[in-house]
Amino acid sequence: MRQTILFYRKEMLEMARNYKWIWVPLVFLLLGVMQPIMSYYMPEILQHAGNMPEGTVISMPTPTGGEVLAQTLSQYSVIGVLILVLSMMGMVASERQSGVASLIFAKPVSIVSYILAKWCSAITITAVSFLLGYAAAWYYTVQLIGPIQITHALAAGGVYLLWLCFVVSVTVLVSVGVSSTGGVAFVSLAFIALLSFISSLFAKVFMWSPSQLSGLAAEWLHYGESARPTFAILFTSIGSMALLLAVAMFIMRRKSPIGTHA
Amino acid sequence: MNLTVNWNIIAPILVIQLILLITALVSLYKTSATRGPKWMWIPIIIFVSIFGPVLYFVIGRKDA
Repeated sequence: MRQTILFYRKEMLEMARNYKWIWVPLVFLLLGVMQPIMSYYMPEILQHAGNMPEGTVISMPTPTGGEVLAQTLSQYSVIGVLILVLSMMGMVASERQSGVASLIFAKPVSIVSYILAKWCSAITITAVSFLLGYAAAWYYTVQLIGPIQITHALAAGGVYLLWLCFVVSVTVLVSVGVSSTGGVAFVSLAFIALLSFISSLFAKVFMWSPSQLSGLAAEWLHYGESARPTFAILFTSIGSMALLLAVAMFIMRRKSPIGTHA
Repeated sequence: MNLTVNWNIIAPILVIQLILLITALVSLYKTSATRGPKWMWIPIIIFVSIFGPVLYFVIGRKDA
């Protein structure tokens, strides 16, 4: 436990030195702020876009607050996930490449606390960044577009945060298994995209898959309480995250040349 | 082309972008080596909005 905390603090320090604590939250904030503003100005932007015959009247249904917030989440699903994976791809892989890992494991260090600390620190920055961006998006949506029911927005935010945590867990596992940082990013993104794609194709079979989380968050914003049953998906997601971490620890123990202390 | 823009709404976006840009430049100034020539990153950071600084932080920094 003490070791885990020690490693956790080391990770946090390293992320601060890498400027990750500045740029990752800022990018999430930017994404969150931009979507409501884009929706707000959309009629005007369309009007000034070229290729429109004179006198064209564009009538667009004004989106509700929930819809705009759901659009923000779908922005996070593309660019947010990309940013997260890219910022964390080197977590274990680059440490092993540079030899820092073998330096660490020359001492009796437990692999469990090593991986756990990496995961916890990654979750911390993810949660802070996402919550910051989401809060900004929420604020702007309420100011510019329209009201959102607080419980729905909170539920959607919580569900979506769990999806990002799942993404982080996948990245941690891949970062342990693949040795080049570029490879880590590619494999993680490919896995997440494939999982989302397959589970949208076979929605019945993958009803409880963690990849349903992002859709579920959007449903909460659109329909509120009449969204799909939530708790089953939450349980499978938390379970699969634990499984991913366990596999990561297993692979780490197999791969590390010296450190066999569990 | 005269979009009526409420600057109170747009200002936060510009401020956040500016902070991102300055952070990237400060980091570039302090770092000893980057992937690719160091001067190359200055126009990327300044002229490619949002993704320029991000690109620098993700692949430009050697210790990242």
